[in-house]
Amino acid sequence: MDIAYKQKIAEIIFENIRDGIIMLDRNSKILAVNSAIEKWTEKPVSDLIDKDCTDVFHDITGICPHCAAKVTFETGEVNIVMQKGNHKDIAYYAELSAYPIKGDTGELTGCVVFIQDVTERMLCHEEILGLYTEVTQTKEYLEGFIENSADAIITSDQDGIITSWNKGAERIYGFTKEDAIGKFLPFVPDFLIDPEYEMAHRVIDGEVLKEIETMRKMKDGTIITVSLTLSPIKDAAGKVIGISCISRDISKKKRVEKELIRRNQELSRLFFISSAMRGTLELDRLLRMVLTAVTMGDGLGFNRAILFLFDEKEKILKGAVGVGPASPEEAWQIWERLSLEKKTLSDIMRDIEIGPLRKDSFFDRLSRGMEIPLSEETILTKTAKEKKPFNIQDVKKEPLSDTVLIQQLGTHAYAVSPLISRDKVIGVLWVDNHFNRRHITDEDMRFLSGFSNHITTAIESARLFEQVALAEQELENIFESISDMVCFITKDYVIKSINKAVSKRLGKPHDEIIGKKCYEVFHGMSSPWTKCPHHETVETKKAYVEEVEDHYLGGTFITSSSPIFGTTGEFIGTVHVIRDITELKNLQERLIMTERMAALGEVAARVAHEIRNPLVSVGGFARRLEKKLDGNLKEYADIIAREVERLEGILNEILGFVKETRFVKEIVNPNRLIEEVISLIKSEVDERGIVIVKEIEEPTEIYVDPNRIKEALLNILSNAVQAMGNNGTLFVKTYVKDNAAVFEIKDTGMGIAGEDLPFIFDPFFTTKKTGTGLGLTITHRIIEGHKGSIEVESKPGAGSIFRVFIPLNNIMDEK
Amino acid sequence: MKILVVDDDLHIQRLYKEEFEEEGYEVVIASNGKEAIELFDSEVPDIVTLDILLPDVDGIRLLRQMKEKRPKVPIIMSTAYDYRDDFAVWASEAYIVKSSDLDELKATIKKMLTKE
Repeated sequence: MDIAYKQKIAEIIFENIRDGIIMLDRNSKILAVNSAIEKWTEKPVSDLIDKDCTDVFHDITGICPHCAAKVTFETGEVNIVMQKGNHKDIAYYAELSAYPIKGDTGELTGCVVFIQDVTERMLCHEEILGLYTEVTQTKEYLEGFIENSADAIITSDQDGIITSWNKGAERIYGFTKEDAIGKFLPFVPDFLIDPEYEMAHRVIDGEVLKEIETMRKMKDGTIITVSLTLSPIKDAAGKVIGISCISRDISKKKRVEKELIRRNQELSRLFFISSAMRGTLELDRLLRMVLTAVTMGDGLGFNRAILFLFDEKEKILKGAVGVGPASPEEAWQIWERLSLEKKTLSDIMRDIEIGPLRKDSFFDRLSRGMEIPLSEETILTKTAKEKKPFNIQDVKKEPLSDTVLIQQLGTHAYAVSPLISRDKVIGVLWVDNHFNRRHITDEDMRFLSGFSNHITTAIESARLFEQVALAEQELENIFESISDMVCFITKDYVIKSINKAVSKRLGKPHDEIIGKKCYEVFHGMSSPWTKCPHHETVETKKAYVEEVEDHYLGGTFITSSSPIFGTTGEFIGTVHVIRDITELKNLQERLIMTERMAALGEVAARVAHEIRNPLVSVGGFARRLEKKLDGNLKEYADIIAREVERLEGILNEILGFVKETRFVKEIVNPNRLIEEVISLIKSEVDERGIVIVKEIEEPTEIYVDPNRIKEALLNILSNAVQAMGNNGTLFVKTYVKDNAAVFEIKDTGMGIAGEDLPFIFDPFFTTKKTGTGLGLTITHRIIEGHKGSIEVESKPGAGSIFRVFIPLNNIMDEK
Repeated sequence: MKILVVDDDLHIQRLYKEEFEEEGYEVVIASNGKEAIELFDSEVPDIVTLDILLPDVDGIRLLRQMKEKRPKVPIIMSTAYDYRDDFAVWASEAYIVKSSDLDELKATIKKMLTKE
């Protein structure tokens, strides 16, 4: 081939090649370009020759052949670079290959640069790169997912040999990766091998089995419930080469489900029981019901329960109620019977009362005998003291286990929960599972605590109710036993209720009084009595107290009426209290009389002195005159003397009467006399702070003038009180001795000096600043007048004893 | 014979004094307990008439004191009111309720003095 031909071919190739070709010298001057280069410059080829390559490319096209050439000029080697450029805002990639052009002598004369558009190739490459990253990430994610999945994700080959084993599988089945891989289905229990094969065949045939519930065996042999998803593993050609199995441990889920149902049931039962409890305010019944709820199969389900209540006074926990069977046979019966299913409240109540859990069962009696002092250090007392529940799993391992429970109840494990009301422990609830030995779980404990709170409230309200009932009963007792008449009268004057005193005083049975108009019953009137306190309260709605003399009933009464208002504040009637003071009135009158009589004795003495002395003088001197005068004057003096003598006679008559007052005798009880006298000095005694100690013996009878004897005793008692000043004790005794009724009055006063003692009954003998000195004289006279006697013992500074003896046998004599 | 009259009433003192002197007795008068004891000691009366109600001390104590001093001197209680039954210890020789008619008193004095 000749050179011209070769050149021709080279030119054809040069011009027609799709890559751009550019020849540069060392100074980047363009020596030659082919037409393909126009694609990169958008300038005619003729405009490029001899131009500086830097001006034509670089900033304009983003690619620079001279940069590629520069390295080749420096090294003399071929240089290939990738350049990224922008052409009309479209990114493109170009591969630039610079080849050296050597002269004959081997020196570098120029450089030829091929520019190949590789944009498409590069974009494709980037896409692949992105995909690759994505795949890598997905794979990692998947692996992570598989590894960290809570589910067991396992693969096996067609024959059941394990090929992969994730952490979830380790966790669920207990086998490690090393344990499992290469083994034949290690987690399939023997009894399930055949059905397992069947499933495997279906999967191998292409089927996906979802959420199959079956059982699996753990490494330790425990059988668990799992949910499986089995799918075939296929190779690229779609051929099944293995099985993947995702399994989830659903034992827990099952448990939770069961628990939820149980819990729900329990709650609804307990709600039922608690409504029943709220309806029962009888404490004993309530406690029994509580314990039944605790032991009922569909309640809390414990075998036995005891409620200990805290006795605050004695500081002990006392067994109040116990519910539980005595033997396993009985236990079975009870649980069979005591189910709330389809039972009405009254059925349950009957079960509780007549069933095997009834009061006074063997277990109940055993429980009620238990008393644990709070001072003892045991689990029960600890529960009360620390106000928290305890779950004793094994009594042998717990040093504080209550020995009484172990010895008497044979308990092996038990739980206790405090009953706390307003921060105070009112009791402790004890439970165990003696017969079925069921383990008491944390869940049980939570439930027990919750239930404890619940029943505390119920017990508290029942207790309150009991107190109210007790108070009511007490009130009723007071109402009935009070000696005052008490009645409730409506605003329409109708008697609604009365106590016994009313029917007794009116002499009519209860039924004949209730419902009648009060003014008819009490006053025998046909319309309200205007002076009646009830009437006034009806008019004014205010309380009234008045002393009323009632001729219909015949007596004097202190009556009070207090308005009663209904819950909405409306006036509904009055409580009317009527005290019969007729007797008191009479007593008061008699006292006044007695005082008058006593005063009369003293007045008589005084009158005697004040009048007799002048009379003696007048009469005495008149007589002297008479002796010395004559005639008329003598007669005048005689008249004076005789008139005085007549006056003296009258005076003697009057004074004689006073002195020898006749006694009006009757048969009386000496005790009554002394009581009446004590009531007369009561106010003075109270004022002085003196204590009266009475020692009243069996009543007897004496025949005396009660008023005069009272006067005699009053003088002694008054002296005794005055002898004590403020503070002291007055002993009053009555008894029978030597056929005489004895009144003994002892004081802790100043006493009587030994030399004065014989004269204390003498007239005008007194050691007091005030007083006539006649008091004891009169007492002495009265006692003597009754053929009685009086004796005195006294120690100065220690007090005195007066004994008044009134003979008993004078009753018949006198009559 | 000397009579001691113990009485706080001035008119009675004078009446007794005049009447007793007319009978031939010597009469000394005491108006209260203190004077009475003094005169009982200094005048050494043969007989005493004694009122119970005196301003400073009651006649009963006076009677006791006099009896302690000279038990043999007769004492006649002369009072406005009859307390004879009321005294636990009745140590006087006689008890006469005062009267404008002094005959009984004079007779008693005479009887007491002649007894001796």
